[in-house]
Order: sequence, then C-alpha cells, then structure tokens
Amino acid sequence: MEADLGFLIGLFGHTLTFWWVIIPTIFLGLVVGAIPGFSAANTIIILLPLTLAMDVEVGLIFMVSLYCSSRMGAGIPAILVNIPGTAGAAATPLDGYPMTKQGRSQQALSMSFVASAFGGLLTTILAIIAMPVLAEVGYYMHSVEMIVVMLFGISLIASIAARDMLKGLIAGFLGLMIGSIGTDVVYATPRGTMGFLELYDGVPLIPALVGLFAVSEAFIIIEKKSIVTDEGREIMAAPSWAATFEGAAIAFRHWWHITWNSIIGLIIGVIPGAGASIASFVAYQQSRTYSKTPHLYGTGHPEGLIAPESANNGVTSGTLIPLLILGIPGGATAAIMLIVLQYHGVNFGPSLFFDQPELAYGVFTAMAITYLLMIFTILPLSRYMSRVTLVSTTYMAPMIIAFTLVGSFVSREYMFDMYLGLVFGVIGYIARRTNYHVAAILIGVILGPLLETYFLRALKKSEGDLMVLFSSSLGNILWLVLIASLLMPMVLGFRRRRAVANTQAGT
Amino acid sequence: MTDVPSNPAPAKSRAEIEKQPRGGELVIPGAAIAFSLYYFSTILDSPWTAQVSAFFIGAVLILLSLVFMVRTWIELQRGKASLRFTSLVNRTDLSSGRLGLFAITLGYILLIDWAGFTITTYFFLFFSMLLLNRGRKAGFAAALSAIMALGGYALFILAFDTRFPEGPFEIFMKAALNNGG
Repeated sequence: MEADLGFLIGLFGHTLTFWWVIIPTIFLGLVVGAIPGFSAANTIIILLPLTLAMDVEVGLIFMVSLYCSSRMGAGIPAILVNIPGTAGAAATPLDGYPMTKQGRSQQALSMSFVASAFGGLLTTILAIIAMPVLAEVGYYMHSVEMIVVMLFGISLIASIAARDMLKGLIAGFLGLMIGSIGTDVVYATPRGTMGFLELYDGVPLIPALVGLFAVSEAFIIIEKKSIVTDEGREIMAAPSWAATFEGAAIAFRHWWHITWNSIIGLIIGVIPGAGASIASFVAYQQSRTYSKTPHLYGTGHPEGLIAPESANNGVTSGTLIPLLILGIPGGATAAIMLIVLQYHGVNFGPSLFFDQPELAYGVFTAMAITYLLMIFTILPLSRYMSRVTLVSTTYMAPMIIAFTLVGSFVSREYMFDMYLGLVFGVIGYIARRTNYHVAAILIGVILGPLLETYFLRALKKSEGDLMVLFSSSLGNILWLVLIASLLMPMVLGFRRRRAVANTQAGT
Repeated sequence: MTDVPSNPAPAKSRAEIEKQPRGGELVIPGAAIAFSLYYFSTILDSPWTAQVSAFFIGAVLILLSLVFMVRTWIELQRGKASLRFTSLVNRTDLSSGRLGLFAITLGYILLIDWAGFTITTYFFLFFSMLLLNRGRKAGFAAALSAIMALGGYALFILAFDTRFPEGPFEIFMKAALNNGG
C-alpha cells in the first residue's frame, strides 16, 4: 500500500495542472461553507449532474477541493457574526467572535486561514505516510468504544461552559434529549414527536444549527447598533495589511498548537460518524486543559481559535481514509463522494491502491494542493471580509434571519423546518440570555441519535447486559481517559486557585 | 481582617441590588424537566429498545435540573439571589423592537409558502429594517431589500437551482426564462 516518493512527486505535479478546477472551486467552497444549510455535501448533490458528467479525475479533484474549502469557509461567519456555517465550526466562535467584537476580526480570519490551511496540509501529508496504520483504527472501533467516544464528546459540554459546569451539563443533556426525538431504530416507535410526522426521522440538524446560532444571535445583536465595540470600530476604521500579517504571524508562532490539534482532528476523522463537530470540541477542550492561560479562553484567545480550526480541517483527510481503505465513509460528504466514484466504476478497498494508485493517492495530493493554493488566494481576502462586521445591526439582523431561516428549508424542503428553526431560535435566545451555552445544546442534538444507536447495538449483542460497556480493553482505556478528562480541569483549576492563594498570602 | 461598613444601611441596599436575578435561569431546567416527563409518557408502553437510552438521558437531565433548582433555592435562602426575570425579559426588549421583529419573522414563515422566496423576503427585509431604524431611511431600506431579495433569487434559485419556496415571482420568471430560452 506504500507509495514511493518519486511516484508521489510525479502525482503532485500532475494534480497541480488541474489548478483551473481547484481555484474556482476554492471560491465556490468558501461561499457554500459560509452559508448555513449549504454544506459541501449539499453542493455536490446540487451539482451532481455536473459531477457525474465530468471525467473521474476532474470530478474527484472538484469534490476534494470543495470539501476542503467549504470546511475553511464555515469558519468565516462563525468568526464574523457568531454563526458557524456548519456544525463542524461550532467551536470556532467561542474565541473567534470575541475577537471580532474587539475589532480584531482581520487577525482572527487570517489566524483561522493559516491554522486551517496548515492543519489540513499537515494532516494530508501524515495521512499519506500513516495510511496503513490509521486504517487499523477503524477495525478496532466497535459499539462499546464508540459509546465512550460519544460520552467523551458529551463530557466536553460541561467543560465548554466552564464558568458553570452544571449549566453546561444541563444544556448538553437537554440537547441529547432533543436529539432523541423521533422513532426508535428497531421498532420505529415514535417518541417525543408531539404528533409531528416531520419529526419521525429525528430532529434535522440544519434548523437546529440555524435557530440556535443564527436566529438567536440576530435577536441578541439588535440591542446595539454594531456587533463591534466602539473601541473595535476605531481599530477597524483604519484597516491595514499589517493586521492580516499579524494574525498569520500569531498562528505561525502557535505551530505546535496547529500540529497537535490537527492530529487530534485526523485521528477523530478516521472514526466513522465522529466528524468535525466532535473533533473541534475535543481540540478546544484539550487545548484549554493544557494551556498556560486557560482563563483567557472564551475572551478572544488565539489558542481558542486555532485549536478548533486546525482540528476540523484535520478531520477532512481523516474521513477519507476509511472511505478509501474500507469503503466506509467517515461523514456525509465522504458518503456522497463514494456514490459519485462508484458511479464512475471505482471500487474501494485495499485493492484500489494497487489497481488505481494515481486515484487513491490523488485524493490526498489534490487535498494538499488545495490547501497550498488556499493560503495564497484566501489570506489577502481577510482584510475585506472583516468589513462585514461594520454593517449596522439594523440591516444585518434581518438579512441573517431571512437567509438562514430559508436555508433550513433547503435540506428537506419542509415548511415545518422553517418553523423548527424559529423554535430553536427561541430556545437559543433564552439560553444566551440566561448563560446556557448554545454550542452545548447543539452538540447534544448531534450526538443524541448516534449515542442511542451504538448503545442499542451494544446491548443487543450482550442480550441486555450493561456490563458489556466495560468488556473491551480499548473501551476500558477510553473510559479512563474520559474520567481523566473530566477530572483534569477540576484538579488543575484547584491547583491554580491554591497557587494564587499562596502567592497572595506570601505578599 | 475585613472592612467594617461605617453605615450598615447603604450596604444592605447594595446587597439587594447585587442579588443575582435567577428567575430567567430556571426557565431551561423547568422546560427540561417538563419535556423529559412528556418524553417518558410517550415511551411507557414501548419496547425496551425505545426506552433504554431515553430513560438514561432523561433521568440524568432531571437530576441535573433538580440540583440546579436546589442550588438556586440555597442562594435565595442566603439572600444572594432573587427570582426576578430581568436577565431574560426587561424594558430594553420592548424598546429595541425585538418583539416586533419576532412578529414579522413569524409572518415571513407564514407567507413564504404562498408568496414565494423573493417577494416575501423583500417585504420581510423592508419592514424589519424600517422597524429597527424606527421608520427612518425608508428609501434606503427599500432599495437594499430589493437588492438582497433579487440577489438571493439570482444566486440560490438561478445559479444553484436551489428549491426555495416558489410563488408568483418565481413562477413568472421561470416561464419568462423558458420562453426566452
């Protein structure tokens, strides 16, 4: 399965000749990634007739470029207006948006672009090198291990809302409960649907995302004329290239942070179903736990922005590994790629690397070139994109509501989903006003159905014996890691408080 | 060593002012308990596969919500909190036009199925901007709303062929473009 260096360099040069596909796709991906409800998956579906008509190589490069650039695009509205373009960018506004409010949106954007591009590039290279080893991860992840991974995601909820862990847990478990709405997977019994047929398939994620983040935010921001503080407006009144370079320099100074968090993203990406949303929250929590300045997280701290952006781009290459090696898509976009490539007669599995190595490794060289070209094409745009935040809220809020609410209609074409978006908007508004974290509710909604599926699968195998949850060695190791990750912030916080108290007593 | 207030009366009134208004914070735990109990009522007669995960999540949610309520009750007893709802609803909500915007948003969703994306979006944007601007700059709001609604039509419906709700405008344009083509 290993490819020699000469072959890879040749393939890299060959893929570079497709720049005419990659560059326009980067801009398309940025636009669709930035609009909630228009993920890369949706766009590939919309453009399916075009993708199917293309040559398989061009089609593959188009899909890979769109996938990478839309991932980066999702972070733009998350930073500028506190609205993640996709669930994978839900951790980005935690520190990105406070930076915008301080008038540092230009730095935040360039920081995000550098972290995304280098995180994505690095993990692409690592994916090529470590593909055989990483593929093994997929074999070891069974129901029990997946339950622990899901619970790991839930444990992050409490950490995200660290100012009040209890509120964080309530928000997260409320999200899980909402995520459990719908028919059960075995007997199709409707549960908690309030009689709405539209909820039988579960709570759709797009209206939840739109309501919790976009609609609620629009109702909050109208209190002030601008989302940027007066001091921030003064800073932004004189934009300069220096702010872009400063942001990029800050990101480069955190090169180790980018490396570490993108690798977290890569590993989580390999696990089918885990995805970018879990990866970005895991990265954020790990970053804060081991940071020297954890108290600055949530206030516009560069590390809090770099961590989720590196991780969710690391996921991009990770999700394609089980697709190529096992034929198991790691996410929605990978699943659509699988359908398109199978239409072209591509058979996935280890044999793909022997029969069509230029196609198998071409996925990653296309990804690497996309990330490289993104640095040069997107970074200069941060200066102009950041100006969006200076638009008065009296114009911005109605536009956010109109275009995101109608976006919640797109995925299923149900009018019901627009009402659902508004209901989630009300929930999000109450949560924001009373300091419950909307991101915690969202991650609960995402994980709810997944947790139930794996829980039932494990119990079915063990004929209802709950001890199955502790029956696997890898699972038990993950349990220990989970407990450690819950206790670690508390222990470190206690030690810091004690150190501060000792210092004060000494002076 | 602690500071002793020279005049206890002002200190007491300051303490009352600083009481945390917890009423609004109880809305989500209250709703969470109510929803969990409703959810349980829908699965009482279901097979165990439909119950097991929901009972686990719901039980934890109810427990956490009750712990929060007990914590709030202790704060009330100690005089650190009040049951006011000012964190959730206050006079600013009325003056900011928030309730009006909510009503217009509800109207937007009600009408879009009948009048289609472009026309409804135009009127939604125009009336919302007018409301938030307190009736000023009506001409600018009308022009901006038209640009945004038509721009949205061009980008989403024409360019991306997205299935947005269709109304008289979209049907007319489709017929016109088909005849033109």
